[in-house]
Amino acid sequence: MKEILSVRDLGISFGSNEVLKSINFDVYENEVLGVIGPNGAGKTVMLNIISGILKPTHGSLTFLGEDLLEKKIVERTYAGIGRTFQVPRSFEAMSVFENVVIGAAYGNGISEKAAKEKACEILNFIDLYDKRNQPAGKLNLIGRKRLEIGIALASDPRLLLLDEVAGGLTKSEVTEILQIVSNIKARGISIIWIEHVMQTMIEGTDRVMLMAGGKDIITAPAEVVMASDEVNMVYLGADDNE
Amino acid sequence: MTEKTSSRRTKNIIKLIVLIVVLAVLVVIPIGGGRIRMTSVLILVFLYMAIAQMWNLLAGYSGLVSLGAQAFVGLGGYSLAMLSQVYGLPLWTGFVAGAVISVIFALIISMPIFKMKGVYFTVGTWIVAECLLVLFSIWKFVNYSAGYNISATYKLTPAAIYYVALAICVGAIVVVVLLLRSKFGLSLMAMRDNEAAAEIRGVKLYRTKLICFLIASAITGIAGAGLYLNIAYITPPSAFNISWTVAMCFIVVIGGIGTVEGPIIGAIIYVILNQLLYSFPGFSMLIMGVIAIIIIILAPKGIMGVVNRFFNVDLFGIKRRL
Repeated sequence: MKEILSVRDLGISFGSNEVLKSINFDVYENEVLGVIGPNGAGKTVMLNIISGILKPTHGSLTFLGEDLLEKKIVERTYAGIGRTFQVPRSFEAMSVFENVVIGAAYGNGISEKAAKEKACEILNFIDLYDKRNQPAGKLNLIGRKRLEIGIALASDPRLLLLDEVAGGLTKSEVTEILQIVSNIKARGISIIWIEHVMQTMIEGTDRVMLMAGGKDIITAPAEVVMASDEVNMVYLGADDNE
Repeated sequence: MTEKTSSRRTKNIIKLIVLIVVLAVLVVIPIGGGRIRMTSVLILVFLYMAIAQMWNLLAGYSGLVSLGAQAFVGLGGYSLAMLSQVYGLPLWTGFVAGAVISVIFALIISMPIFKMKGVYFTVGTWIVAECLLVLFSIWKFVNYSAGYNISATYKLTPAAIYYVALAICVGAIVVVVLLLRSKFGLSLMAMRDNEAAAEIRGVKLYRTKLICFLIASAITGIAGAGLYLNIAYITPPSAFNISWTVAMCFIVVIGGIGTVEGPIIGAIIYVILNQLLYSFPGFSMLIMGVIAIIIIILAPKGIMGVVNRFFNVDLFGIKRRL
């Protein structure tokens, strides 16, 4: 498989606090890479660097053969990186439909008419078509998470960054999210998926990367990672770095 | 689906008819030369509506809270005064020059002040306007702080000034509505709701804000010329007075920030209150301030925020539906 994102020696410090020391991994075409790790491991910070919100102190990011660090936030969206946030960041006063239209019109750089057509398709895909004219702020949590995914998908990303989309959901809702992620993968989109809900990592990923103390500890298929000594060390507190 | 579309079309036709009737009534009011009091009040309503729409475009949609809008009111007013009084040119040239000079000035100051964020931007715009006040007070070219009588306006009837003010107001609202109904408007509404999220979705924040700043500056400059067409006498302390911006803030906050309807309602309330409190000059600002604070506490999104909670008002067809 061809790699689409290559991360090498990625690190960031906030003052004297070295949050990411050295992260190294690749994401391949049509792959779902799960990311687990205790709170404070730097998982969201890593996504913020990939999406351009934060600048790394050192390291390199190569996306589809291009140096990502040269690109601004919007340029990374145009290049094909979509993302969701831990706390959904939809446009609350606007309707569900308008939210997805924005994702399509600006993320894709297409006309509003074309963006509306794209939004219809996406709304059906994320099963929010019935709520299309509701204000986004009135959706329930699973609705907001679906919408967040929909807005990101509307820009036709090659790589989707999911930040705890299953967090705070019931078991049946987690199953719904797993189905959506599986459908996204079927569209040929690669995914980096940060999650604390282990069921999603076991059932919904191709590989899982364990992060702790600002480093990638192990990257392997979920069952291998879950059975590894490293997971026990990190989650049982045996790692001095945590 | 078809029923919904048909009902939506009917609603749009009703809205259009209402807007045309309102406009027709406004056009008829000064005919015959009567209703002078009402005409003079409406002139103020129209011009305040126009400048408040522009302040709302910046603060409500682009997150650019400016305390320096009076700079453009003053530039517009001085363009009118200088071209008509000093150079003897027709009054309309003052409006054109007001828009052009405002845009050029906005473009120049945008370079330093757009580097400032949040409250620093707000203070930055205020300082720029204060600098203009000082500059115009000591500048021979603009007759120092003595200013000008704009005597060409004496020949105009109140009705003529009324129609100019109405045209500026309608023009300002049409520009805002067209902007919001375009693809560009989607980015404005996205920025209004969540700037950081808008950027990650592909909205170019700097470019979008700059375009809004230039449009708002041009129309505030034109409205400034309109205000001094009505006042007919200009000095730096009055032209570059922060009270212009305070009025815009009041109008937008009580009407409803981030809506087109808000500045319309707010301007009507502001001018009527101003007229009612005219006999109490010492207390008028105090009373207006108390009203603004009460509304901010009880209805932070202004009157339109409360109205929208119960009825999803979209008078100008800005919301996209499917």
